[in-house]
Amino acid sequence: MSRLLSSLRDGKGFDIVLVAVPLLFLVVLSGLPLLYNVVMSFQEVDLFSLGTLNRPWVGFDNYVTVFSQPETWPILRNTAVFVCASIAGQFVLGFGLALFFSLKFPGAAYMRGLFLVSWVMPGLVVGAIWNWILAGDFGVLNYVLKSLGFISESIFWRSDTNWSLWAVIIANIWLGTAFNMILLSVGLASIPKDLYEAAALDGATGWQRFWTITLPMMRATIGAVVSLGLIFTLQQFDLFASITSGGPANSSNVAQYWAWELSFRQYDFARGATVSVVMIAVVMLAAIVYVRSTKHEVRG
Amino acid sequence: MFKTTSLIVALASVSLLSLNAAAQEDVTITIWSLDDEKQPALNLAREFSEMDNGITVDYRQIQFDDVVSESMRAFATGQAPDIIAVDNPEHALFAARGAFLDITDMVANSQAIDPDNYFPGPLNSVSWDGKIFGVPKATNTIALYYNKDLFAAAGIDAPPQTWAELVEDARTLTDPANNVYGLAFSAKASEEGTFQFLPWAQMAGGGYDNINAAGAVEALETWKVILDEKLASPDTLTRGQWDSTGTFNSGNAAMVISGPWELNRMLDESKFDWGVALLPVPEEGAPRSSAMGDFNWAIFSSSKHPDEAFQALEYFASQDDRLFPEFGQLPARSDIAIPETGIALKDAALKVFQEQLQYAQARGPHPEWPKISKAIQDAIQSALTGQMSAKNALDQAASTISGVLGS
Repeated sequence: MSRLLSSLRDGKGFDIVLVAVPLLFLVVLSGLPLLYNVVMSFQEVDLFSLGTLNRPWVGFDNYVTVFSQPETWPILRNTAVFVCASIAGQFVLGFGLALFFSLKFPGAAYMRGLFLVSWVMPGLVVGAIWNWILAGDFGVLNYVLKSLGFISESIFWRSDTNWSLWAVIIANIWLGTAFNMILLSVGLASIPKDLYEAAALDGATGWQRFWTITLPMMRATIGAVVSLGLIFTLQQFDLFASITSGGPANSSNVAQYWAWELSFRQYDFARGATVSVVMIAVVMLAAIVYVRSTKHEVRG
Repeated sequence: MFKTTSLIVALASVSLLSLNAAAQEDVTITIWSLDDEKQPALNLAREFSEMDNGITVDYRQIQFDDVVSESMRAFATGQAPDIIAVDNPEHALFAARGAFLDITDMVANSQAIDPDNYFPGPLNSVSWDGKIFGVPKATNTIALYYNKDLFAAAGIDAPPQTWAELVEDARTLTDPANNVYGLAFSAKASEEGTFQFLPWAQMAGGGYDNINAAGAVEALETWKVILDEKLASPDTLTRGQWDSTGTFNSGNAAMVISGPWELNRMLDESKFDWGVALLPVPEEGAPRSSAMGDFNWAIFSSSKHPDEAFQALEYFASQDDRLFPEFGQLPARSDIAIPETGIALKDAALKVFQEQLQYAQARGPHPEWPKISKAIQDAIQSALTGQMSAKNALDQAASTISGVLGS
């Protein structure tokens, strides 16, 4: 008994507890719902059978139905464009800002902190504000672009099938840039300064220092930022709900919004679950990349 | 032996006691609705609960978006309320699956509820398979609001009666230099788009089960002309009715298709003279139609107190004449006259809406309504964005819908 206790306090038992607690947490709060979702995608589900697991199995029927719908491929393509463009925009702007604020000037730290305000705002509020900015007839963005002479006629950001997806991407880049900046700032701060001093002594230019010191030293951070970005971007729902509702004609519809639409607008829970399972597969890949990149970080 | 007998006696008296206690205690019924303290359901439920009738009401306010999913989940797990207020196109979803109580016989014996007093549209929405599964809670419809000042300035003396006149007037009234569109409406890819489009299809001989009728195609083509010529803002595709009407109130649209829920806001915001006209028809003499909105009351079939629940519905129906004066909602009944408000613009508008209500048609009713509606929304959007012709888009919708109806 006392051996068990002491092992719990300091020994193998303690290790097991350390592993078991988060594992239990994961299984109960993430694992089971995930499993439930996967199970639903292989069943025939309607609102009245939501309360039970005992539903007719249909094999891959739901997958076949989803992938034979005409809107599926455009929506998946939109999702890919949304994810790539959002991450690219957030990363480039975030990295630029992080580098900018790493120059020591008065108030740099405070201003960097203020940028986080955008990250703190709820997505629905951000969506409502961008809705006004992007409005076709009286939106601020059209006014600015017209005043600067970039465009002569209003762009209907939300209602033009060529622009609607980009309207959400612009809002999402604005929303996510600050988060990228903070993570990258932390990465920048952890690069030893003597490396730069040594490089400067050897006569390396700013560009060379960035290319041969900053980027390689930031590898782990960048990996983490990009994979977290992928996860956050695939989660982005509020902006779609408040800016375009996936429209017009699905031109700005993405997998995560579509899954919700199927489940909670058409009450087709099986197809909604099917779309989510496809997304889970993608997020899992991102998670593996993320875990690998942080592993690298620990080893230094 | 003696011990056992006394135990049984003791047990029996205990259960008798609890039975007595139960008889004296009020029956509690639960009501779920989205109404808050300024709206009828919560107030009427409270009044009914406070009456000395042995019935207590447990009221729960739920959000619009959660009504169906919450109550379905509750029903599936045996936790459903006794009474629920549900959006009318979703009524059949529950009724057809036996989730709602068939109250046809109760209504037949009721003093307070007489089906003949209700407008046909709302009554149709609570019916399924020839039986009655609920009571309309309130109703609304859509008609054409028009800016009389802009009409006068453009030299148009009466609101348009036909689609052709509507388009013609919209052309005359559209004034890009002053940021004025001829018309505002909603073709959004949501239930609102269906709500606005179906009346057009119905007036021209179409319907949800005949969505590619020649008249419905013509209706969608008319919408396309309106958008292509920019007689309405391109944002019509993504904007709901509330925001579209906002542009009318600010003077940026000369006409708007919307419902009586806008009246108070319009009185507050608009700085011009306006009026309401019946929805224009395809051509002179064509049948009228309009959309029918708002919620219905229903009793869940799982209710343990159906009679008490029905008493509550009878009480609500008996108070229908207070709906408009106290809460600004229109009763779904033709036997209740809307009292004058003393505000000329509003009273004139209400008369038109009352008339329009007689032509209001329920969406469906069909248990798969959300899927039918989605097919119609997709057709509207792909035609208006130019991805398909109106004909092809509606043909595709018709084949999707016939798949739904057939299954």
